[in-house]
Amino acid sequence: MYLGEGKNMVIDVEQTTRSDVDAGIANWENFAASRISHHGARCCDMAREWITGMDFSQLNAGHPLTGPRWLRKLFKWGPSKWPMHWCEAVQEKTLDCGALGALSHELYLARGVRSFAAQFILEFNDVSTRHWTQTWRAAGSCAPWISEGLIYHEGCAVAVNENEIKLWDATATWWINPKQFGGYAGLLAVRVIGKESEMPGTFSWGEHRIPANTWHKVERATADFARPKPTAKVRRKRGSRATKKIAEPAAVG
Amino acid sequence: MKIYISGLYSGTSPQPGIGLSRSLRIAYPDATIIGVEYSNRSSGIHWPKFDELWLQRPWEELDLAAYGELITGLLDGGALWISGTDLEALWLASVFPDGHTNLLSPPAAGLSRITKPGVEAHKGLPLQIPPFVSTDHSDWDMHAFCRKHDWRVWLKGPYYEAVRTRSWDQFEAVRSALVKVWSTQRLFLQAHVSGYEESVMLAAYNGELLGCVSMRKRELTEDGKTWAGDVTEVPEAFAASLREIIRDINWSGGAELEMIRDPEGQRWLLEWNPRFPAWVHGATIAGCNLPAMLVEAATGIPAEKTTAQSEEFTRVVLEVPVRSRYPLPPLPEPYAGGIGHSMKHPSGMPALAERLHKLHPHLMSANGSGANGTRAEKPTGVAAIPPSFMRDLAAQDYDQLETPSFLFMDTTAAGLFDRASKLARRISTLDTLVSNGYSIKTNPDARLIKLALDSGFFAEAISLLEVQKALQVGFKPGQVILNGPGKWWPAGLLPKDPIHAVFCDSIADLKRVTAAAESGELRSSIFGVRLRTPHITSRFGIPLDTPEEFRTLVDSVSLLPRASSFGVHFHMASSNIGVRQWWHLYQSMLRWCRSIEKLTGRDIEVLDIGGGWFPDDWHEGREDDFTKAVMHAKATLPHVRQIISEPGKAMAQPSMALAMRVLEIQPIGEDSTEAVVDGSIAELPMYFFYPHRILRRDVATGELQPLKRGKTRLMGRLCMEHDEVASNVELPEGTQPGDVLIFCDAGGYDRSMSYVFGRG
Repeated sequence: MYLGEGKNMVIDVEQTTRSDVDAGIANWENFAASRISHHGARCCDMAREWITGMDFSQLNAGHPLTGPRWLRKLFKWGPSKWPMHWCEAVQEKTLDCGALGALSHELYLARGVRSFAAQFILEFNDVSTRHWTQTWRAAGSCAPWISEGLIYHEGCAVAVNENEIKLWDATATWWINPKQFGGYAGLLAVRVIGKESEMPGTFSWGEHRIPANTWHKVERATADFARPKPTAKVRRKRGSRATKKIAEPAAVG
Repeated sequence: MKIYISGLYSGTSPQPGIGLSRSLRIAYPDATIIGVEYSNRSSGIHWPKFDELWLQRPWEELDLAAYGELITGLLDGGALWISGTDLEALWLASVFPDGHTNLLSPPAAGLSRITKPGVEAHKGLPLQIPPFVSTDHSDWDMHAFCRKHDWRVWLKGPYYEAVRTRSWDQFEAVRSALVKVWSTQRLFLQAHVSGYEESVMLAAYNGELLGCVSMRKRELTEDGKTWAGDVTEVPEAFAASLREIIRDINWSGGAELEMIRDPEGQRWLLEWNPRFPAWVHGATIAGCNLPAMLVEAATGIPAEKTTAQSEEFTRVVLEVPVRSRYPLPPLPEPYAGGIGHSMKHPSGMPALAERLHKLHPHLMSANGSGANGTRAEKPTGVAAIPPSFMRDLAAQDYDQLETPSFLFMDTTAAGLFDRASKLARRISTLDTLVSNGYSIKTNPDARLIKLALDSGFFAEAISLLEVQKALQVGFKPGQVILNGPGKWWPAGLLPKDPIHAVFCDSIADLKRVTAAAESGELRSSIFGVRLRTPHITSRFGIPLDTPEEFRTLVDSVSLLPRASSFGVHFHMASSNIGVRQWWHLYQSMLRWCRSIEKLTGRDIEVLDIGGGWFPDDWHEGREDDFTKAVMHAKATLPHVRQIISEPGKAMAQPSMALAMRVLEIQPIGEDSTEAVVDGSIAELPMYFFYPHRILRRDVATGELQPLKRGKTRLMGRLCMEHDEVASNVELPEGTQPGDVLIFCDAGGYDRSMSYVFGRG
């Protein structure tokens, strides 16, 4: 799904309800992360070579961790037909979040960055989920990714060091904020998928500790930043009392 | 309690005054908060929560001494003053060099430690300063800085304004504008750092850090100003270092450290502002009321508790009633025929800067006359002239010289070709031969082509006329590489013997080459393709931008003669895209080559890579890069047996200079001069793309004197408005009409693209 589009919508925050994340996890427990298939033929070889080559060119001397935002210039967000092969993916005009997440994951791997598929459960309001359901229906698709004010979403998890990851939302083209307050577009749960032999037991994402291959409920941040501060210091006299004069040239380098 | 707050401008690049008043109102509901402004065009004066408004005349009118006395009286009377603008804070520091108990603004000594771009005080914090160079350096050095940083650079004023300059002519235009606005030559260029913007805001009193918060920008205006953000605690390690620094520089008042966090998490300090930021109330919304802490520390009067509402804040646009007795001023009329209303800096900040420069020139100096804070060597503003230039130029007979004319620098040119030849030999390996190619179009002078021949270069031609020129000088067809979209022009001049290589510039060209090969018209040891650089705009080569184009390329390669070797060529001027980006492009191209090899089943045996290197970038200290490039190519394309490197203008540009004579010298105004010369942009068409090192020949002594930075414009002889061959230079004392000026670095496209104009 395309979270960025939601920014343009008028949302009544009161409509956003706290949804049952457990029900969402149960609902999507058996959803496999999306994966681009290969025909085992030249058609997919060529498509994969093209998209990985283009990704490296687009990096523009930037850091390999830089998110592949260029994909979203190439593909609009919308329903996709599955299974999807490489040669089909590069020809599409629209891709869903699963395809965008899977492509981003592959591009990171091609850059030599450790990447894992990532699944998300996000909270939205009824207006949004109704709208998406209708959009998918109009395209002749069902929308199993929407349920009871929650949506299933995909991206990828990129390792910045041994255990620490960042979560790339390939559809919205942003890094998901580890500090989650819930509410509209809030991340409620995340699952990082991969081969156990290639993953640590637990990932670090901001303050969160996310076990591999397991849905993890994202703890909401509490607005505790403004806890009591040390009391202000007692007034002290500050050197010489005001001397009204124009300063000599200060020693500014 | 009376609190004066300045900096009320509340447009898209707002000042903190409104936010300060809102935060202090929470903490001190009964305080009298007085807004201070210097223009009735500043919308913040209408903020209804100011108890009083103190509207001064703009800075250009103010009697600074009298105004200083007025403020002294207020402070002595117990009022507090929080400055919301950098320049006002600087001026107040000059009025109160040791501070004042009630002046909640940093003292002069503290300010001297935070001046841009070096920000000396940052040492100890886990921050780096983005690379920068002062405009005190020569234009030659600044151009090098731009190339090094891929033209992703910002030209910045000492206090305000930063403008991205993507090209040399843009740099010159922006420099001229900033110098005029801020009345100083002390600007600096700073490399761009990609990443997320964040800040640390702090409040301190008498060197004691009272509090600090971090803020990440979450929405930005088009100018990059904060529109929304989230506020978090400053990590204790950072805060501990900051505490030490604040103590060391005896800071008082607010401050903001503006930073970029790059993709690796490294933070880069852009500036340390000597005041609270405009988003100050965003932190108060998060429960961290730093202005209140400051006032509490200064007065000892406890502040009311600030309740946290959210750790995230955003701005909205509000309409408020205009304050009675302060009706809106009329909108200035656009200049005749002009666009827009020219209303920048209504309070006269540039005027204050100009006055402060005169009153306190040292206080107003930017820190870092060198690069990244090193003050070891004060730049002279004069570019170094290579000794070989001086030798070659000294050997010319200027008395008999008709001007304008190009001077061939024979020992310089010979040295360059010799060096390139030796480099190629050194970086060749047992199974990969590295050769050079001389791009004839960069300068078709027979002397340079001969040097290329004698130095083992291939001749790289873009037309059959260029091929013929190479053959005339002595190249054999087997030493010629044919390239470009117009390689068949003019018809009938193709050599009968096999040439070394031909690279197809398009699919249509590939089909024509294939047909010519099949018919026996064209024979070549290597048939190849030129790839168009993806993501970097180019009109040359076969594009790769879509899967269809890529497939067409892959399928078409199979048409090329199997009996010859297969090669790939790519070319992009590193002087245009920058050195770092060029090397990324090289790596990117190798990846594309690997894909082509894999999908076509044809081994890539020859790589031809260019070019457009600025001489310093190619000749100076690059051997390691080239050695790695060869290794990388071999690792990626194991069948490569030859790499042809085309340095482009790196060979030709230093090899000629342009001599011209001064025709007329005319003083303009108090300190500027305009001189007319008999050269022009017809002989120096690259004037707009890079600076040239200029020498004046002293008639009496024969001495060649480098021109320094100054306020003279050198205008060409043509009746063309843009015929200016140098600006911001200083003619040496005693320069007269008839004197010879020598523009170095004119042997590349200046020479080959020069045109006949205005000669009847």
